[in-house]
Amino acid sequence: MLPGFGYARPRNLREAVHLLSAPGARVQAGGTDLLGCLRDGVFGVDTVVSLSGVPDLRGIRRALDGGLVVGAMTTLSEVAAPTDVVKGYPTLAQGAAAAASPQLRNQGTIGGNICQRPRCWYFRGDFHCARKGGEKCFAAEGENQFHCIFGGDVCFIVHPSDTAPALVALEAVVRITGPNGSRSVPAEKFFILPETDYTRENVLTAGEIVTEIVLPPQPAGTRGTYRKVRARGSWDFALAGAAVVATITAGKVERARIVLSGVAPTPWRVPDAERAIVGRRLNKRTVRDAAAAALKGAQTMSGNAYKVELLRGTVEEALLALA
Amino acid sequence: MKTPKLYFVDGAVPESPAPTDTPAPWTETRVVGKSLPRVDAYDRLSGTAVYPSDVVLPDMLYAAVLRCPHANARVRKVDGSLVERMPGVRAVITGDSKAADLRWYYTRTVFTKLFDPTCRFEGEAVAAVAAETPQQAWDAVRAITVEYEVFPFVADERKALEPGAPAVHDGGNRVGEPEKYQRGDVVKGFAEADKVLEASYRTAAEFHTPMELHGCVARWDGKRLTLWDSTQGVYGVQQRVASLLEMPLANVRVIGSYMGGGFGSKLQADKYNLIAAVLAKLTARPVKLFLTREETFLCVGNRPPAGMRLKAGVKNDGTLTAFDLTVLGTGGAYPTGGTGLVDWLVRDLYTCPNVRTEATDVYINGGPSRPMRAPGHPQGAWALEQMMDALAEAIGMDPVQLRLKNVPTVSQANEGQPPYTTTGLRQCLTEGAKAFGWDAVRRRSKGDGPVKRGVGVAAGLWIAGDGGPPATVIVKLFPDGSANLNMGASDIGTGTKTVMAMVVAEELGVPLEQIQIENADTGTTEYATASGGSKTVPTEAPAVRSAALAVKRQLFELAAEELKVPANQLYIEGDAVVSTKDPKVTKKIAALQGLRRRGLLIGVGTRGPNIEGKVINPFVAQFCEVEVDTRTGEVEVLRFLSANDSGRVMNRLTYENQVIGGITMGIGLALTEQRVFDRQTGKVVNRNWHDYKIPTAMDVPADMTSLPIDVPDPEANTTGAKGLGEPVTIPTAAAVANAVYDAVGVRVTESPISPMRLIGLIAARGKRG
Ligand SMILES: Cc1cc2nc3c(=O)[nH]c(=O)nc-3n(C[C@H](O)[C@H](O)[C@H](O)COP(=O)(O)OP(=O)(O)OC[C@H]3O[C@@H](n4cnc5c(N)ncnc54)[C@H](O)[C@@H]3O)c2cc1C
Repeated sequence: MLPGFGYARPRNLREAVHLLSAPGARVQAGGTDLLGCLRDGVFGVDTVVSLSGVPDLRGIRRALDGGLVVGAMTTLSEVAAPTDVVKGYPTLAQGAAAAASPQLRNQGTIGGNICQRPRCWYFRGDFHCARKGGEKCFAAEGENQFHCIFGGDVCFIVHPSDTAPALVALEAVVRITGPNGSRSVPAEKFFILPETDYTRENVLTAGEIVTEIVLPPQPAGTRGTYRKVRARGSWDFALAGAAVVATITAGKVERARIVLSGVAPTPWRVPDAERAIVGRRLNKRTVRDAAAAALKGAQTMSGNAYKVELLRGTVEEALLALA
Repeated sequence: MKTPKLYFVDGAVPESPAPTDTPAPWTETRVVGKSLPRVDAYDRLSGTAVYPSDVVLPDMLYAAVLRCPHANARVRKVDGSLVERMPGVRAVITGDSKAADLRWYYTRTVFTKLFDPTCRFEGEAVAAVAAETPQQAWDAVRAITVEYEVFPFVADERKALEPGAPAVHDGGNRVGEPEKYQRGDVVKGFAEADKVLEASYRTAAEFHTPMELHGCVARWDGKRLTLWDSTQGVYGVQQRVASLLEMPLANVRVIGSYMGGGFGSKLQADKYNLIAAVLAKLTARPVKLFLTREETFLCVGNRPPAGMRLKAGVKNDGTLTAFDLTVLGTGGAYPTGGTGLVDWLVRDLYTCPNVRTEATDVYINGGPSRPMRAPGHPQGAWALEQMMDALAEAIGMDPVQLRLKNVPTVSQANEGQPPYTTTGLRQCLTEGAKAFGWDAVRRRSKGDGPVKRGVGVAAGLWIAGDGGPPATVIVKLFPDGSANLNMGASDIGTGTKTVMAMVVAEELGVPLEQIQIENADTGTTEYATASGGSKTVPTEAPAVRSAALAVKRQLFELAAEELKVPANQLYIEGDAVVSTKDPKVTKKIAALQGLRRRGLLIGVGTRGPNIEGKVINPFVAQFCEVEVDTRTGEVEVLRFLSANDSGRVMNRLTYENQVIGGITMGIGLALTEQRVFDRQTGKVVNRNWHDYKIPTAMDVPADMTSLPIDVPDPEANTTGAKGLGEPVTIPTAAAVANAVYDAVGVRVTESPISPMRLIGLIAARGKRG
């Protein structure tokens, strides 16, 4: 049962930011994640501030430099639709298409997707866990088959978003507006690890709203893909995933970014794996080396050791898809 | 050993009325067997169908239940006094309330209080509130203060018998003596075998999780109670509620004409029925109590997990020599048959002279189980059918051939080894294999790359599916030739109403649109047992037929007078009665004077007894093809074929619905579904539709074929139909497991075959492609 709350539908960004600066206010984009959290009592709310009345937050437009600007209120379906995103940024389009279910993609937005709260069943469930201000992470000693093998500390969530790894791989920039004005943060710096703050998943502070995501133009010869493995064919989060963006010229990888999903509390970039393919051709051997490099430093718990082998296969398949 | 009657949990069923005389089976049919859409499809799809959860009454209150958040605890103190003054709250009941001082029975002798201080599983009811709005009810429930004494728990049946395991009940964690069965001599059997294999298997616990939540609306009119209940059987609920509230049956009316699925979890009354009734009584207002989705994962049943160790012996020619099966299972915190029927297929499916089974049922601090679509059978098939596959490989025989070699004609596990009335197992296997293209695909290459293809087969039978008395049905014929069908049976989504109307149409020629159907209402419809056990068609359809025939007989008597033709020389063609001797001697039903004068013809039909000395079972064989990505452990089911012998096909479309639904559910058991307890607290962590993964459209193949072995069983009943709804899901998971083995050579003996499990096994066995 949803708790009681006030509801506001501001008409412009300034008003929205103002309303959101009040304690207990929460942004609502599509609401697909927010309402679930409220219903499950994950956190409380005084006022739900909907962004649906704020103009100019929805839609995709061409930037002056040839890149794309995606409004935060653009739905995942729109991001995945056969448009400029698919042509220029297939990694992102595939990420959006791999998220959730058709209904959720029609309603859920890209802004909401990168700001959604973790899906850890302890965090969402009837457990007073560390991320909710409690004493401990229940996953550490509990049912942790869906938890992280990289970057865990105090809390062992994985970041739930399928678009976030693509954004990091594409070197996207997140534009933010808040009570103190606007700022731009590279996607790679937008997400934060538990060791920085285990009660938040990103850098947003009170009253701040993601307004746009800027996708820089990609050099010629750039290809991309997103490979996601899940326990169920739809309506399910990644057990492991790999977003890859690589510029390949004359058969050799010139530049590459490989970012993993489902294995860490943030989209998890693996520079060692990137180095393993840069300057080389993508073939069985280099791909195997890169996958092995991607696994370095993995720390498993009682139930998630499978993720190591799974990740190896996922990275290999993602890279081979670009070969 | 007699076939246990699964669903009559509440003891003796009412005496059946004497059966009306037995008509000969149909030779040719005009309506029955056709592919016809549901008679209520429009109402269901447009939303005009009123399900119990849609019922809204003037002045109605909403109730919510406070449930124990601990796996094992004792309520020391519960205080609802402050809550009573909260806005909108009209009643609060706890274990201390006199009005709620009622008993709840798990068996005839095992009972607790409605709100018992001893909470043996997470989700046990502790208190309840009725308020003006659902929000107020939930606010109040959250505000009730409870002091719990929390105890250690046991949530894993494999640990329940370990020394020092917390005792769920004072007497320890054994539900009773292990259930044992033996025929022949297994030691001798294994000695005669050329190959003996032994393996352990386990299926995870599953949840029913039907679309409509569990719940009811309760209203009192003086001393009479009416419940609109989402149930599979209104009469069972009436009986239970009346007995617990010590009321005459006549004063308890239960209505459930529409209901949104149950899969066995709604075969019985639930505590919520009593809670709603008590709150409605206290407040003198109607009360609606529907559980939340999360609650339904805790306290309205599950398919118990099954640990199985199976040893099997076979000769090189494929003759089975012995089976030895040990089962460990749990129905949760109360005796609900945690191991029931898990061993039945090992006992009965294949010819085998030497069989021994032993099943140990233990308690854990988990929600009590309830029958779930073919109780015990998919679990047993998971072990037996994987073992058959392994045996076939061990002796170098095709798995279909090994099964064919051991098709029995008698039910070996029933006392006296009586014959089956019909067994289509052989045809299911041969015709299924042919239609699937088994021989060719089996020999095909598995693929050179990392993605491998494989095919699998598995078979089964269902212990019930015979149906039987009691059942009473009334068919009325109006003077314009339209009809009314009145039966107590619930249509649990299977198309019962449609099939029964087709039987009326078959006998009386009335178009389906002109048959009004009243069903599942103890106040106005006739007696029926709960819809479950795949017995609804074989139970109700003969009763419907007999009621329609009773009408027909009277109609012909009336027509005989008017047409001056003997009644036994008449038949119905369209909307007219016609002479068999001269088709020109005919009269429209609507024009019969006698019918007009009478105003209405009434036919009462009952279900006669089943044939003595024979066993009526449906049979099935399923074939599937899968693709396994050996780099990720992902399994994609590419196609499925189900060959079913369920006797006569009553409606090709609803038949196919069951097949597709059964396969879908079986794929859930095979690949995605499992209850997960938190090992630290004993709480269920996946109590929602995201974390508990029932298959989506993306997890089932578009290519699903239903191949009916359409051979009416004249000895089964007067319609020739046997049960279908459960056999369709029995071999599914095992067939998938066998196909995965065929593809990658890895035997996954524990369900589900998730990427999480499979990738580890593939890597460990060096099967990565
Ligand atoms: C069953 C289920 C399965 C799912 N599976 C997947 C999956 O496989 N992969 C995947 O990636 N996602 C998945 N999702 C998540 C889904 O994609 C998100 O719910 C959706 O993208 C969120 O978008 P929204 O617009 O509805 O966000 P909302 O629910 O409105 O908001 C989500 C959160 O972000 C905050 N927020 C929203 N917009 C902004 C903004 N512009 N600035 C700052 N904060 C903001 C809100 O306050 C809230 O906390 C699943 C969700 C469900 C319910």
